Amino acid sequence: MAKTKKYREPINWKKELRLAPGYFILLVWISFTFVLLGWVLLASFSTTKEIFSNKLLSSGIHFENYVKAWVNSDVAGIFRNSLIYSIISCTLLILICAPAAYVLARFVFPGNKLIQTGFVSAMGVPVVMIVLPLFGIVANMGILNHAMSNAVLLIFLYIGINVPYTTIFLMTFFGNLSRAFEEAAAIDGCPPTKTFWLIMLPMAQPGIITVTIFNFINIWNEYFISLIFANSDKLRPIAVGLYSMINSMKYTGDWAGMFAAVVIVFLPTFILYIFLSEKIIAGVTGGGVKG
Amino acid sequence: MRKKVTALVLTSAMAVSLAACGGGNSTATTAAPAADAPAADTPAPDSPAAEPSGDGLVYWSMWEATEPQGQAIQAAVDQFTADTGISVDLQFKGRTGIREGLQPALDAGTNIDLFDEDIDRVNTTWGQYLMDLEELAKAADYEATANAGLMAACREVGGGTLKSIPYQPNVFAFFYNQAIFDEAGVTAVPTTWAELDAVCAKIKDAGYTPITCDDAYITCMFGYHMSRLVGEPKTEEIVKGGQWDDPSVAATAEAYADFASKGYFSETIASNVWPAGQNQELAMGTAAMYLNGSWLPNEVKDMAGDDFVWGCFSYPALEGGTDGVDAANYGAQVLAINKDSQKAEDAFKLICYITQGEFDKMLSELSIGIPADSNNTEWPALISCVKPVMDSMNTRYPWAAGAEANADMTPIIKENFLKLCGGSIDAQGFVDALKKAGN
Amino acid sequence: MKRNKGMIILFLAPAVLMFSVIFLYPIIRTIVMSFFKIDGITDPVAKWQFTGLANFIRLANTSLFRISMWNLFRIWLIGGMIVMSLALLFAVIITSGIRFKSFFRAVIYLPNIVSAVALATMWLQYVYSPKFGLLKTVFTNMGLTSLAKIQWLDNDHKFAALLLAYCFGMVGYHMLIFASGIERISSDYFEAATLDGANRFNQFRYITLPLLKGVFKTNITMWSVTSVGFFVWSQLFSTVTADTQTITPMVYMYMQIFGAGNSITERNSGLGAAIGVLLSVCVVAVFWLCNHLLRDDDLEF
Repeated sequence: MAKTKKYREPINWKKELRLAPGYFILLVWISFTFVLLGWVLLASFSTTKEIFSNKLLSSGIHFENYVKAWVNSDVAGIFRNSLIYSIISCTLLILICAPAAYVLARFVFPGNKLIQTGFVSAMGVPVVMIVLPLFGIVANMGILNHAMSNAVLLIFLYIGINVPYTTIFLMTFFGNLSRAFEEAAAIDGCPPTKTFWLIMLPMAQPGIITVTIFNFINIWNEYFISLIFANSDKLRPIAVGLYSMINSMKYTGDWAGMFAAVVIVFLPTFILYIFLSEKIIAGVTGGGVKG
Repeated sequence: MRKKVTALVLTSAMAVSLAACGGGNSTATTAAPAADAPAADTPAPDSPAAEPSGDGLVYWSMWEATEPQGQAIQAAVDQFTADTGISVDLQFKGRTGIREGLQPALDAGTNIDLFDEDIDRVNTTWGQYLMDLEELAKAADYEATANAGLMAACREVGGGTLKSIPYQPNVFAFFYNQAIFDEAGVTAVPTTWAELDAVCAKIKDAGYTPITCDDAYITCMFGYHMSRLVGEPKTEEIVKGGQWDDPSVAATAEAYADFASKGYFSETIASNVWPAGQNQELAMGTAAMYLNGSWLPNEVKDMAGDDFVWGCFSYPALEGGTDGVDAANYGAQVLAINKDSQKAEDAFKLICYITQGEFDKMLSELSIGIPADSNNTEWPALISCVKPVMDSMNTRYPWAAGAEANADMTPIIKENFLKLCGGSIDAQGFVDALKKAGN
Repeated sequence: MKRNKGMIILFLAPAVLMFSVIFLYPIIRTIVMSFFKIDGITDPVAKWQFTGLANFIRLANTSLFRISMWNLFRIWLIGGMIVMSLALLFAVIITSGIRFKSFFRAVIYLPNIVSAVALATMWLQYVYSPKFGLLKTVFTNMGLTSLAKIQWLDNDHKFAALLLAYCFGMVGYHMLIFASGIERISSDYFEAATLDGANRFNQFRYITLPLLKGVFKTNITMWSVTSVGFFVWSQLFSTVTADTQTITPMVYMYMQIFGAGNSITERNSGLGAAIGVLLSVCVVAVFWLCNHLLRDDDLEF
């Protein structure tokens, strides 16, 4: 990601013409994306009857769809849950994974390779493999009975699931940092632990930010684990909450409300994306080994 | 959880050692916020839903808060709390939510005192979690005002004892649009397959689609037809044992293939994903009949409008068949109490609030449903047509009349029956497909 | 080195502990479970009955499970080919020096960050709607009545519909990986090739593709890993009961273990564990195949 200053290239018509098929293909694809999103947005402001007769917005803007969706389904609560889960998990993930990644990247010790291999393989393990025993343990411990312990459990799971990926990502990042800093610190007499927290961790900031954005989106959209382990309505995160909202609107035949719910859930991620797309994209390409 | 605590201790230990090192290095300042954050976050996990669910009742409902049933139940619960001071944690799970979520939750020992769902699902699928309610019902003299037939049905599916309390009774039968019947000159509801054939022909001539359905209900048509032919127990035996060679399977397939070839089914029947058929065809007035539960008029009332007149008739009898029109999947939603509940008496009291008197009436009115309390004699106008059908019932089928008794086969029956009705396979093709799937 | 011992342990402990609790222990237990008949998921080990390979044999004999595996395979293979070719095409266009590159890139990647539930609902309820659907409208306006009449959600098209919608969301991610791979190829190669008179297609065929081997491996691996967990889309595309066209092993497992079907089924958590083991075997097989077919010196991250 070399950030050279952008300059306006003068339009070279011959070159642009040569690229025309490329433009065309991309335009078709993205216009489809825009129509899809745009229609859903318009539909969310129409009435169900208008949607079915394909005359969106013909009776003006119906903001009440949003009010209905918001009031009936405690969207605020769902949002709060997802926000809390994501923020806490992301923070703890860095605190747990960054030291481990650093040690794995920098020190030679027996078991280093083994741990790395273990983490890399864990990224390929289907969730089915781990869900059953975890559920059994959790069930026997009665954790799901109390909102508080259940929430802690969810966060614990979100963290655990993302530990291998985060560690490996940060490991490559630390591996690329120059050793000169540690050597200088060692000469100054700073012990390695402090060197890490004071010097190396700050230097890894770009990597930490990227991986955190990535983790955030992952946890924010997580569905399967939450479906099984978030027992109480009060604990539901976004994805599961939206699923139930959509079902609820279907039972009552309220398509407009359903699209409003979709937009409500879609919008925050979208706005975040507008501001952070460069970072997120850098996250995928800079070391992303994650779907 | 101990591991987590260890992790926290470790991180805070690191934070401390960090502080000790002092900010001698200028690059350190950027690190500080990132490293400090955890210390501030340590007590944070208590944030979501701090409310303790320790005391009071926990009630998982199959409805959604937005549905009329949900609203009536909410009102009953509010009144209950106001009268008794017992708080109720009422969670509207929705159909999918409760079907998929209740069992794992119960397995996990989740604190749920009472829940509701369909009579068969509660008593069979979740049978092992239910508390015996005979004593509680006797103590409350519950049966004085309860619908005797439904209580008997509950006992029957509960293995001879009362494990659930019915509310929102329902019957699964053909529902039709009276306006289309009138326009097509149909004066009497069909009671035999031949009569149904004639009715369909008239409706088709009048320019309407005689029958529509959705993927979610299509297996019911198969089950009903099979059960009319050979009785429900036999149907279940065939479905579970994979006896697709039984002549009744071919006979059922042929009857439907015949209807399909005559164009009696909606053109889109094979692709109707629920609720497309009920909303877009039946309620919009392009299709005349739909085999569905008595909850249907309520579900589509916004689309159908107030002037929609409903009619209802039981699945027609078949020539030489075992069962007549007095057999159907009738029943109710039921409320049941978790056998591990510590507050069974309170829970039963809440059940009485919901299923008796004022709130039963409210539920019936709001949801256009059948009242459960025998003192509430007035049925909502939209479903008054169901009353004669309901009253004529003698034999009870389980859900889909046994067609969904084998979960491994349900999707396969569904797929092929949809194709059969859509005309893309013939009767033989249907039988072959089931045979091929085995089981 | 000795001085660092304490630090290494202290730094590694939390991550390794998390890993052991969330991955290591459950995986081992799942493998063991797959050889037992286990009634309830919470049953103590004492109540497990050893049945050897019975769970696997039973799965192999259940046509619905076979269908679910077949669906997964189709999603992996057909979907994989669609996604990989589109992703590669877009990556090549994006890196060919067009204007508004980052805008295009951002929009193509966008679906990937949207909640799958939201995205699937948009497709299901809007694009494929037989009443007001996007496809219907577009085809009608183009005068292609036969295409407009297609019922996208009927049995014959449901799988294609599901796959198309899923691929739409996945293309962006794989495009980014391809694009970064292409950008890492030194421009010297292309300049030299241009001087030698190689046209763009030949450049792509003889320079880009061979050098992208490692990236291909990464992409295929990632695609396989995500496909195996195919669940949300399938659940959304089948409304009430499972559907032969959309069921996948994960859905089958969920149905069996957590009892989402319409009737009582014999409950056996060992069966669910066996499904997990089978899926893991598939992933391992794909890894192995990738490593042998696309032999490459350095694994691209």
